[in-house]
Parts: sequence; C-alpha cells; structure tokens
Amino acid sequence: MIISPALRKNFVIAIAVIAGFALVPMVVTERYLLGEVIIFFFWAIVASQWNLIMGHAGVFSLAQMFLFICGAYTTAMLVQFGDLSVWLAMPVGAVVATLAALIIGAACLRLTGAYVALLTFAIAEVVHVLIITDTECFRHISNNCQQLFGGATGFSRFADFGFRKILKADWMLGNYYVVLTVFAVTIFATLVIIHGRYGLAFRAIRDNLGYASSRGISRFRYQLIVFAVSAFFTGAAGSVYAAHFRFAGPSLFEFSTLMLILSMVIVGGLGSTWGPFIGAAVMMIVVEWMKEFGDARNIGMGLALVLFVLFMPGGLAGAFKSLWGRIFDRTPKPAAAPDTNV
Amino acid sequence: MDVFIQIIATGATLGAMYALASVGLALIWGTLGMFNMAHGLFMTIGAYGSYSAVAYLGLPVYIGLPAGFVVGGLTGCITHLLIVKFMVGTRNFGTNIMVATAGVAIVLEDLILKGFGAYPFRQPVSLTGGFRVGNVVVTYQSLVIVAVAAALIAMTAFLLLKTKLGRAIRATAMNLDAARLMGVRTERTYLQVLAIAGALAGAAGVLISSLATLSPQMGGDPMLKAFVICVVAGLGHVGGTGLAAVSLGLIEAAVQYFLGVRFGFPVMLGLVILFLVWRPNGLFGKKVVVRL
Repeated sequence: MIISPALRKNFVIAIAVIAGFALVPMVVTERYLLGEVIIFFFWAIVASQWNLIMGHAGVFSLAQMFLFICGAYTTAMLVQFGDLSVWLAMPVGAVVATLAALIIGAACLRLTGAYVALLTFAIAEVVHVLIITDTECFRHISNNCQQLFGGATGFSRFADFGFRKILKADWMLGNYYVVLTVFAVTIFATLVIIHGRYGLAFRAIRDNLGYASSRGISRFRYQLIVFAVSAFFTGAAGSVYAAHFRFAGPSLFEFSTLMLILSMVIVGGLGSTWGPFIGAAVMMIVVEWMKEFGDARNIGMGLALVLFVLFMPGGLAGAFKSLWGRIFDRTPKPAAAPDTNV
Repeated sequence: MDVFIQIIATGATLGAMYALASVGLALIWGTLGMFNMAHGLFMTIGAYGSYSAVAYLGLPVYIGLPAGFVVGGLTGCITHLLIVKFMVGTRNFGTNIMVATAGVAIVLEDLILKGFGAYPFRQPVSLTGGFRVGNVVVTYQSLVIVAVAAALIAMTAFLLLKTKLGRAIRATAMNLDAARLMGVRTERTYLQVLAIAGALAGAAGVLISSLATLSPQMGGDPMLKAFVICVVAGLGHVGGTGLAAVSLGLIEAAVQYFLGVRFGFPVMLGLVILFLVWRPNGLFGKKVVVRL
C-alpha cells in the first residue's frame, strides 16, 4: 500500500485524537459523562460511515441507521435466543449488516440520486413496520410473549460484555475501552478509504464519469464495495451498542434518530475527512443544551439541518478550511479552481 | 365475485388517495428537480388545518376540505419563500434540498406535536354510512375520496395542459434556459408549483385522515407510498404517477386481502424493486442517453 502524504498527515491526527480519548477516563470520572462520550463514539462512527458513502462515494443512502440496527438486532437475538457470548455475537452482527448492505446495494445502486435515497428509506421503513406489527410469539418468557424480532418492545436486559464481574464498580471503563477500540479501527479504515485508491476512484468518477469509466473504473462496483465496507463498521457499531446498552429495539428506527445523525454529517461537513466527528460532538452538545428549553431537541436538529444547508453547505469543516486558507495561504489561487470538496 | 368487488372498492380508494398524495411530489420533481421530504408534513398540516377550521373556528364541515387545500398551499409557498428560493441552482441542489426539506419536516412535526399534542383526533370532515354492492358495503366516504381525488387531479391536468400557467410550468420543466429566454418568470413558476403541490398534499391529508385519525406522524406512511409510486412511474412524470398510484393501490388491496394487512406495502415494495432492476428509469421515465 502506498501511503500518501495526506494519508500520513491524517494518520498522525488520528493517533493524537485516539490517544486523547484513551486518556479521557483519567480526567472524567463521572459515569454519566463517560456514558455521553461512549454515545458520541457510536454516533461518530455512524456519521463517519454515512459521510463516507454519501459525501465521498456519492450514494445518497438513507439506510445507514438500518445497517446499524441490523448489527444491533443480530447481536441481541444471538445472545437472547442462542445464548451466545456477546463477544462472538458482535462480529456476526457486523457481517450480517455487511450482507444486508450487499443485497440492498445490488438492488438499489444501479439507480442513482434520489431513487437510491427513496428506495433505501422505504426498505428501512418497511422492515420497521414489519417488526412492530409482528404479534406471533416465538417463545414465552415468564408468560410474556416474545416475538422473533422482538415486536414493538425489542430486546433488553441480556448479557453484556461481562465487565461488571471483573471490574466491579469500574465496569464502565471496560465498556469505554471496547467502544474506543471499535472507534479507532473505524477511523483508520475510513482514512485508508478516503485517502487511498478508493478515494481516488471516487474523485475520478465525480470529476469525469465518462473518462473514469473508460479507464475501467466501474461506478457500480466501487460504490457497492464501499457501501459494504461502511456497512461493516456501522453494523459493528450497532452490535457494540446493543452489547453496551443491553438493548436493541424499534425505537432505533425513529426518524428523529436518522435526522440526528444526518445533522451531524451536514453540520460537520459532507465530504470532508474529519467533519462528521466534529459534527457529532457539536450536535451532541447542542442537543444537550436544547434539553434545557424543554423538549426542543427535534426543532434544534431540524433548524441546524436547514441553516447549515442554506448558509454553510460545506459544514464546519468547510468553513474552517476556507478560514485557514484565508489566513495562511497567501499564494494567489488560479481563477475558478475546481472544488474537489464535494 | 364479492372478493373482487371488495378489492376493487378498497383498491380504488387507496389508489385515489395515493394519486393525490404523489402527483404534487412528481410535479415538484419534474419542475424543480427537487425531492420534497416535507411532503408528508404538507399532508399532515392540511389535515390539521381542516380539523382546526371545523373544530376551533366552527366553520361548516364542507369548508373543511378547502381549508386543508388552502393551508397546504400556504405551507408550500412559505417553504419556497424561506428555503427553496435561495437554494435553486446552487451546487449539489439535489442532495442539499432533500436534507433541508427533511429538516423542515422534523421541525413542523415537532411544532404540530407541541400545538395539538400526540393524542390522535378523529377527522370531523367525513361522512358516515354506505351502500351495498352485492354483499360488499361501500362507504360514502370512499366514494367522496375517489370523487374528490379525481376532481382535483382533473383540475391539475387542466391547469397543466390548457392554461398559460400550466404552459409556463411545462416549459420550465422541459428547458429552464429556453423558458427564461422566452420570458417565463421561472422564479414565480417555482412558487406556483410549490403552492399547487402543497395544496394537493393538503387535500390528500384531509382525505387520508378521514379514514384513519389525525396524528403528527400521519403523513409518514402516505409519503412513503408516494415516494415508491413516483419512483415506479419515473420521477417527475405527472400522468404516469396517477396511473401507477391506482395500480399500486389495487395491488396493495389484493395483497392485503390475501396475505394480511401488514404485508400490503412490503410486497408492493418488493415488486417495485424487482421492477426497477428491470427498468431503472421507471415506467414512463425517459431513458437518458449520456454522451461522453
């Protein structure tokens, strides 16, 4: 693998970021705050993978939370029904999400633009409705009927990582480092895709589809591969989510959750490298802050989406980049430079 | 035979509602190339508008439908003036406008939730009773739905095909630059299109809520179906959308009858996806030849 200067620079940033997060528990001892950081990891992973597929590969998929849910449900069901250890169930969850993405991708990625968005949205919604309207009992737990896919309540209170036994009161730390590990692996894989051969292929497709395809770059193939890769990490995040919260249920399908992640991607900067991570942090703080004004979470998210798309389409990452350029880059730019940061 | 009549009656009612819900969506796509994620909320707002007009303002019931129509149209206008107007023609318009309208949808839904509460209301603008065809009861409300939808769609067709306004809309959809050069004020055409689409969605909302109930989330399900219908027809093809809506309504009614209500939409979606693998541009979508 050739490591380009851009990739090396981003690797250094990534190592610094991950090292920083590894030290957080030394400073933050409050369990609530640590829990918030863990939630940040989950949403940042999903947002970064969504940005990978939407901002870089150019697939406007609305199935990102669905893939997350595939991982979460697989883990929950394997632990609940198969009595499997979560450590074995989590990789299976990631693989199931990948397979789901391959099937959805094979069906939808022949289409482009809004068609993909609508179909992926419809597929996720149909699965949601099928799950919550399922009333057939799969098995009974103390006279309570439990459906195969958990029905309207989902799965909860199953076995988790098992840190409660080993670390006692500090079990949260164990969970923290497990999630951080998944977060770190995701960051490195994402960087390799964005700044490696795949990133080059997508830039080629975006700049000139005709020339790119005549040089043997197939849009469908590359998009499908990246869709599957992003699904793997999204599914892994979902699996770990299920194991951390000991929960997987239809509330994850809520439109507002999807919109929260979308707002993270948009606020951070669609098509940037680090934007979704910044966006995830910013939106979590905004949502926390909005809680003080009563239940204004959704209004805050909706306004953030509209305002950023209207006034700052490049997101915070784009704004920061242009500000940085204005301050430090004094070389005159060629007129109408092609903007590669789509 | 009764089964057949039952399926036709249910399917026609569903199809009529779907057609009304999706025609506006197709019209917006065809003219502006924008996908309106807030379309479901336009329906919800129309339904609540008609409910408020009758329940709070005490207007007679027959004002309910026009009230929903007007409120939906106004919502369309406001969306255009506050958001769409500033985004048309910018880079990545297609993606950004979906994001922006999704944001609008979630804000509006939350406002309705705060204003009216989550408790589902019964739509006062509806009829009771019915008549028998063989052993099947056809309700008057179904007849009203089919009649209103047919009338509104016919009106839209007349507007698009026979009036100056319609000619301007079609010209803008066909070729933006040429339309501008010929003196069409495309800016105003966009506003008119969003107003018409909003009004149709508002009316659809009133009809849909008359069969179910009013709730802040009521627009989600019909919007999803409208999405799928538009995709089958080929995005932006207004006439095809009406046809696709009625056929999918009939298919859904048949599947609901034979397999159970919960499988109606999933089977429909499965068929649609298979269909799209075969014809990626939908039934009536133009095959785009890309010149390299």
